[in-house]
Amino acid sequence: MGDEGNPQTPRRTTRASLSNTPNPKSSTGKLKSCNLLPLTIHDLAYGDESISFNDLISSLPGRRAQIIELLHLLGPLDSPMFPVFVYGGASTGKTSSILQTFKHLKRPFIYCSCITCYNPRILFESVLNQLLLHRRNESNHYSSAKRCERPSDFVNLLQEALHNVVDSLKGNVEKSSSKKSVGRARGKMVYLVFDNLELAREWDKSSNILPFLFKLYDILKMPEVGLIFLSNDSPDTYYSDTGYVEPVPVYFPDYTEDELRQILMKNQKNPKLYSSFLGVVLRPFCRVTRRVDELLTAFSSLYQIYCEPLDDLGIVPNEDMKRKLFSHLQPHIGPSLNETFKVESRLSSEASANTNKWKGIAKKVGVSESSNEIDFHMSACAKYLLICAFLASRNPATLDASMFDSTGGSNNKKRKRSSEKSKEKKEIAEQELLLKGPGTFPLERLFAIFQCIVSVSECLPDEEAQGDGGLEGESWTNGLLSDVLLELSSLCNANFISKGGSCPLEGANRYRSMVSEAMALKVAKSLKFPLAKYLYRGG
Amino acid sequence: MGVENPAEQAQILLRTRLCNPNFIYTIFSDSPDSNYSKLKYIMSSSVTEACNNSALLLGPRGCGKVAILEMVIKDLLQEYPDTICVIKLNGLLHSEDNCALKEIARQLCIENQLVFSKMASFDDNSQFVIAMLRECGLAHKTIIFVLDEFDLFTQGKQRLLYSLLDAMQSVTSQAVVVGVSCRLDADQLLEKRVRSRFSHRKLLFLPPSQEDLQKILQHALLLPTESSLPPQYVAAYNKKLLNTLSDDKFKDIIDSLCNFDATFNHLLRFLFASVCRMDTKSGFLSLDNFKTALSSIQRQPKLEALQDCSILELYILVCLRRLEGKEQETTNFNSVMKEYKDVHNSFQTTDYYARNVCLRAFEHLLQRQLISLVDNRGHSQSVEFRPVRLLISSHELHQGLKAYRSCPAILHKLLDLAV
Repeated sequence: MGDEGNPQTPRRTTRASLSNTPNPKSSTGKLKSCNLLPLTIHDLAYGDESISFNDLISSLPGRRAQIIELLHLLGPLDSPMFPVFVYGGASTGKTSSILQTFKHLKRPFIYCSCITCYNPRILFESVLNQLLLHRRNESNHYSSAKRCERPSDFVNLLQEALHNVVDSLKGNVEKSSSKKSVGRARGKMVYLVFDNLELAREWDKSSNILPFLFKLYDILKMPEVGLIFLSNDSPDTYYSDTGYVEPVPVYFPDYTEDELRQILMKNQKNPKLYSSFLGVVLRPFCRVTRRVDELLTAFSSLYQIYCEPLDDLGIVPNEDMKRKLFSHLQPHIGPSLNETFKVESRLSSEASANTNKWKGIAKKVGVSESSNEIDFHMSACAKYLLICAFLASRNPATLDASMFDSTGGSNNKKRKRSSEKSKEKKEIAEQELLLKGPGTFPLERLFAIFQCIVSVSECLPDEEAQGDGGLEGESWTNGLLSDVLLELSSLCNANFISKGGSCPLEGANRYRSMVSEAMALKVAKSLKFPLAKYLYRGG
Repeated sequence: MGVENPAEQAQILLRTRLCNPNFIYTIFSDSPDSNYSKLKYIMSSSVTEACNNSALLLGPRGCGKVAILEMVIKDLLQEYPDTICVIKLNGLLHSEDNCALKEIARQLCIENQLVFSKMASFDDNSQFVIAMLRECGLAHKTIIFVLDEFDLFTQGKQRLLYSLLDAMQSVTSQAVVVGVSCRLDADQLLEKRVRSRFSHRKLLFLPPSQEDLQKILQHALLLPTESSLPPQYVAAYNKKLLNTLSDDKFKDIIDSLCNFDATFNHLLRFLFASVCRMDTKSGFLSLDNFKTALSSIQRQPKLEALQDCSILELYILVCLRRLEGKEQETTNFNSVMKEYKDVHNSFQTTDYYARNVCLRAFEHLLQRQLISLVDNRGHSQSVEFRPVRLLISSHELHQGLKAYRSCPAILHKLLDLAV
């Protein structure tokens, strides 16, 4: 979250992961340099050379006003500050702006995200580790510098650590006043950055962790410490019952269309061509979403289609060419607007030789629902279980007997009767279904339906067995219950079926089908199973 | 540092002042009937007359309760050196009895150069504290207990408060317990056995009056004449500032600030934001600085979030609003989609997207906290079926649509039809 669109931005986590987690990269190539050199106080700031103000602004298009505001609030060297609260929607460049700003300023800071530090203890220990310049590695069994679980211990340890850091920074300032060196941290302020603060709300309902963090500045009473909070959610969503001392807010709005264009244009090999591409797609897509991450995924595949007619990708398109490319792309825009993401079918990645051909097919699967292929492999038994679960979730349990007692003959009658029912009643029932969602069912009912359906499908001409292997078909219909249970548990793990809480009266677990009707129909079609005949349509 | 430009130096000075509560509140130490004087009287009487005392400082957040208390303590420490020992606790950190007593013991050990044992039990610690209270009483040393976020100490069994206050009554001790809370009913939260041992001295802290406000503004923003800053610059700066302060437009700004939140902290935050925007080239605080600071401090997050929405997200919000207008009991994603489809069928809108795209937009809205799930039960149910509600009023939605650039006219119409 945050550093989208400019992949060249070095992510801060690289340093964090170096110090906090066993990084595969560091254990091989960088092993020597990272294990032998102890961390110094200067590692609290970004190493190497700092970036100029102009580079800072140009590396984050559309964030000029916000960065200037941040720089104002951080102020000149060694000036104390009130806590700052940076907020804005997902993928609006909050994290990257802060980190790049610190790279520009070269001031010592520590960064903790509530995503990686997912409970108070880990957060506290991560802050202390960074301040105490402690690196978790093999020799200390990847343990933290200090063990601390409670906020009260944390405050004591933090005060101690901060005093040490500030003292050594002060000594450092005196020393460096004589000779200026490049890799040094500037100033004697330490900044603590807490990212993704909104996650901390969920940690523990009763705990005081958020009021505590907001009040940390008052509790510490150290003017040399600056606090910066980053959050997706606005400050008004943090109000608690007795309130808190509000930090100074800084707002990062979502990118406008022009800013999005600037971001997407960054690092393009052929800017002219890409700009004409964006001219076609950006406006319609902006009506759906303005998030950079989502736009990037949608555009990457569309751009490939856009470029398909071109032999030379370095070409500068003229008007005529643009028109041609547009007419080539146009039929793809609509479908692409209507899909959130597409998982490339495995076939397409395997058949790398004729990529284009396969991709065409894969796309069709994603878009049109008429195709009766499903994009994944599943055993016939699992497919039947999926259908049974779907039926059990949709149909009322009282109808099971009439649906499954004989082989389909009776429920034809049923369907006729139900179509005669008044339309109104049907609508109400439909509405109810929309509101209530799929129902739950006990395991026994699932197996009862499973038995009925399997016996029905045995009577049918056994075509589906060809596709799935006749032998396999034999073994599960003969009913090894443990196999079926195994399949069921893997369906649960894949979230096709969800396992709910147990019913207090019956005691057994209840299940619920999570698949949509379209999906269930598709699966049924692949088995040649007449699912529609068994569906109770209300009324 | 001397070589830097004076404006930057002045800015650092102003920021240091604003972030330092001890500086800001010193102006209240002069007047005889201020909270400062009252508190100082209470606490110094305990020191000089060797008696026990307790008081509660109550008032809304950000009115300088802790800052005044710190000032008093600082003064007392200067006036009576070596006879006062201060123990500070915070309800956010030490609301649990065990932890609080441990912290008291720890601080007592540090103050008196004793060795603190982490392993000591609750009983050991409480005996130690009582013994310390007695010893200090015999040595005519006053222990001041500061309990910040006092209301949080009253959760649970209040064992800490009871044992502290009880010890103060039975032992020949010399201690002051000062509770600080933003809950005005904090003393009502006490158990009977605790309340009866508590002296009901309460000091109320209120937001600043108009006069105090003016005093603070000048106190905080005027540059001192005796400093390392060049005198011509200081004179020019102060003249310009006084001009700005007496400006009617500036008074309007302060008024709208105080209408929103009149506490000291809010004012200081506003001044901080203004000082941050000071132009270091000219080196003066202009009216513009104050204006932009006001707008950056007073935010309307829900309207901002509406501006961030895509058009599809606005459609979903309007559909949800229409459903609320129809007084449907529960709404969820599916019913919104039905409404969305109906709208499309009757108005033939251009923005009609597939279900999964709408679901993504719906989830964005949840993330933006413009809508929320009604209950947290039923986690097994997928999000499309869980009931939701709007977190903005229809008025806000109207305002947001009006301010939205290139908002489709049909959305206004749909919303009007719903109301």
